Amino acid sequence: MSAVMTPPIDPAHIRELAAQRRALVDRVKQLLVDRLDTGVEATMIADDESLFGRGLELDSIDTLELVVAVQEEFGVEVTDDDVEALLSVSHLADHIAAGLQRER
Amino acid sequence: MSTVAMAPHPLYSRTTLEADDLREVLPHRPPFLLLDRVTQVEWDSHAVGVKNVGIGEPCFAGHFPHTYVYPGVLIVESLAQLAGVVRSRTATAGGTRPPRAYLAAVRGFKFTGMVRPGDRLLLEARAGSSVNGITDFTVSARVDGAVVAAGRIAIAETAEGES
Repeated sequence: MSAVMTPPIDPAHIRELAAQRRALVDRVKQLLVDRLDTGVEATMIADDESLFGRGLELDSIDTLELVVAVQEEFGVEVTDDDVEALLSVSHLADHIAAGLQRER
Repeated sequence: MSTVAMAPHPLYSRTTLEADDLREVLPHRPPFLLLDRVTQVEWDSHAVGVKNVGIGEPCFAGHFPHTYVYPGVLIVESLAQLAGVVRSRTATAGGTRPPRAYLAAVRGFKFTGMVRPGDRLLLEARAGSSVNGITDFTVSARVDGAVVAAGRIAIAETAEGES
């Protein structure tokens, strides 16, 4: 086993990553508002807001609409194997980020 | 109970379907089996079908008294039946249980041309995303090459009828 080198922490880089994440989460919220009849404004949605049940109360048809919207907006697929992706806004953002990362 | 898997219905190895075949893959019956023929099918993905509009259609008794116009909702239903055909192999588990697929959503439809007796509707349905047994379809209907209706529908398969 080789020694693990911890890369020096670059605050500017961390800030940039945080900003990218913020922008992605905001885009997901805006997509929810634009494409689904959620009846709320994007700024009223929490990052960890549940998509189902208490939270945004999406139904199964809304879920399909969201999956179609994510595909169109980000080019990222969500399938039945990605159940975790649909738990909350932030889980969906994680899934999209991972999908975009794979594309690069 | 037998553990031997039933062979899929032989229709599911075909790429075209006649009206008699449609009764095997769809639960609809005349006068509500609107689709006449499927001229091309890629199961779970895409299909092209034909709906011939005749003056004998029951809807023309009232739609309308002054002029015959084939109802837009029946064009949507014809497209939904074609989408149902596309999903039928999966919805019926290869033909080992009765088909149970329902129209779950209709979105962004535009009707851009009148359809009248004598017109031949060329229908197309292409499957997109699918989640929780609900599949999104982009659909269109043409008469003589011109689009008369287009939009999106969702088809939901239910566990009802599973054994």
